[in-house]
Amino acid sequence: MSIKFFWQIPTSGDGRYADAHKRIRGERSDSKPYFLPGVTDPRGRRFNYFDHLHQVAKAVELAKFDGLQVRNDPQGDESWIVAGYLSRATRDLIVLAEFDAARGSAVYAAKNAVSYQRFSGGRFAWQISTEADEAQRRRNGDYVAAEDLNTRIEEFVIVARHVITETDYDFKGRFFEVLKGGFQGPLSGQKVPPVYLSGNDEDAYALSARVADVHVLDAQPLADIRAQIERLHELASATGRPLEVGIRLDVLARETEEEAIYDAKRYAEQSGQSKGVAGGALWRGLTKDSTGASAVLVGSYQQVSEGLAAYAAVGVHHFILGAVPSLEEAYRIGENVLPQVRSLVAGTSQRAA
Amino acid sequence: MAIDVFWRIPTHGEPSSLRNKLHHRGDWSQQHGDHVVHKGLSGGHDDGFTNLDYIAEVARAAEISGFQGGLIPSFPMTDEPWAISSFLARETSTFRFMIAFQPGFLNPVVAARMTASLQRATGGRALYNVITGGGGPSQLWWGDVAPHDDRYARTTEFLDVLRGVWQGEKFSYQGKFYQVEDAALPAQLLGQEFPEIYFSGSSDAALASASKHAEYYLSWLEPFDQLREKFDRVKERTDALGRKIKCAVRVDIIARRTEEEAWREVRRGFENLDDAARERYKRFTEQGGDSVGASRQRSHAPKELTDYRDFIIHPNVWSGLSLLRGGQTQGIVGSYEQVAERLDDLVQLGADAFILASTPHLEEAYRVGEEVLPLVRGHDNAPALRVVR
Repeated sequence: MSIKFFWQIPTSGDGRYADAHKRIRGERSDSKPYFLPGVTDPRGRRFNYFDHLHQVAKAVELAKFDGLQVRNDPQGDESWIVAGYLSRATRDLIVLAEFDAARGSAVYAAKNAVSYQRFSGGRFAWQISTEADEAQRRRNGDYVAAEDLNTRIEEFVIVARHVITETDYDFKGRFFEVLKGGFQGPLSGQKVPPVYLSGNDEDAYALSARVADVHVLDAQPLADIRAQIERLHELASATGRPLEVGIRLDVLARETEEEAIYDAKRYAEQSGQSKGVAGGALWRGLTKDSTGASAVLVGSYQQVSEGLAAYAAVGVHHFILGAVPSLEEAYRIGENVLPQVRSLVAGTSQRAA
Repeated sequence: MAIDVFWRIPTHGEPSSLRNKLHHRGDWSQQHGDHVVHKGLSGGHDDGFTNLDYIAEVARAAEISGFQGGLIPSFPMTDEPWAISSFLARETSTFRFMIAFQPGFLNPVVAARMTASLQRATGGRALYNVITGGGGPSQLWWGDVAPHDDRYARTTEFLDVLRGVWQGEKFSYQGKFYQVEDAALPAQLLGQEFPEIYFSGSSDAALASASKHAEYYLSWLEPFDQLREKFDRVKERTDALGRKIKCAVRVDIIARRTEEEAWREVRRGFENLDDAARERYKRFTEQGGDSVGASRQRSHAPKELTDYRDFIIHPNVWSGLSLLRGGQTQGIVGSYEQVAERLDDLVQLGADAFILASTPHLEEAYRVGEEVLPLVRGHDNAPALRVVR
């Protein structure tokens, strides 16, 4: 089975330092000039963060990732708009857009997804996530009870799949309803976006077993991931559906381990997390604020490559990676880590065969 | 005040001429009443291009030719305007994306973020054509269960929330359809221009909603007296609410150097109508649905198809356009001068903006931009820039 590497597109800010959300590359304001008055600045207001995101997407493609993941961050730019904007800028990348099932009609989302598929040559994929914080859900106009969030995702996926692949489709659920639905003519025959779901509890696993193509786990030590994968495969085989596994993980890789640890510590200082983050190769909470990942794999290129290959060996096939700053690190990882992981994984599967 | 002129984006694919359907653009077309899907952009070969590549060219033609931008419609068979706009944000310069959508299909807080992001991606070139749905079984196809009049109340609430969130201060709202608590756009997305709203819908419920939120009330072309009456009514109703609303007309045009040449296009198309088109016309004159706009259009249609001239309902106004291609029935046909004069007539009876369209949209964007728009005076009494011929 092939391994897919995604790079995260940061929707709420990106820059050289750890406090990236305060430093939004490309963004200019008239009130705060970037240069001293003695130097002319030709940029004016011609550029903003979207120009930077465009650069990152190109970098992800040139550095030979398989896809990009557009994060859904309520504090940032909207993921579908970013995904469309970046799809046109790339040729072969999978464009995995993260969003919340509270966005509206499942039929309308599916219909938009069909356009994304038509325009991108079938590269669009969905990562549907839930917002754990109730206050944040209400800020998003979402009053659905916590225990119903998974049901809504399930109905959302069922409706979307059917209207993309069938006609005369009827559905009446708790959250969505359709009568004689289904896209026809030019909008028919498009690929259903592969569905990535996540969550670290039994309900989330069971939901994925029923409707997801990929379940994305939060970064954990290898033993925990192995156990979670076993459970996911158990549930999936009970439903008879194929289910692959992914991981959401940040990486901090340098030529030597010393350099990597030095930079990790500096990152911790810059982001105001001075202690309690180090723990072997997997640093917890180091970049959670800026990228949403629960842990960072820190080490030399060799160590990080071996760490990723070890996850692959226990059954992780989709790596959603991220790092700050996105552009520089996309090249770094693409040049120094991905080729090693790919050859390690190829070697592993050869031995297994 | 100067008028704004938009073009329309042919999301439905299109023949390269109204005279016949021998050639078509887009990866699909309507032939003998059926939708035919082609591989690739033209000629049935998989050439690696999609309808979006043609749409992109039309959008650039519109901006190069001096249009504000273009209406991007939303139909069950066509690509969605939010998708088109985000994909084409970067390859256009001044083109304004007029996104047709039904507010009921989106969470308004998400829609606010989508819109603000699109404004950032385009440099403030997004605006709305808010539609509220024709009703009947088609709404359930979209997954929408709200009844007709309720849908306008929902549209009003949707726009209330969108505006509220846009301000950036914590906003709470308790509506029948939408509730939010302490919502606001993130700091990074603040300060963008709120999208101008073109509002469609002819019923009283629609007008009540339009009066509250829309900058422009958008109507299809109708007989001129009827349009004047409608615009007067809309403006009266908005005045009563202490707001000003402007009016816009969606007009198809067939403009040629001489009037004879323009009517020849119509006549050729009419002569080439096939049985499927005649059958479609029959169904059109008989069909139901609770859209007031659509039934207003139907009431002006002759029962039989014998002579194209039976469809001339006003000097230079032909009401048989839907025979030649999908869409509204009435359009302006004439010489460049005549078309410009009729547009000025519409300005005199209350139009402040136009959304124009003509087939094929690519070449016609250039023609109309170069030959007709320079002759339109709008509210200004200045002489035309130049005289053709």
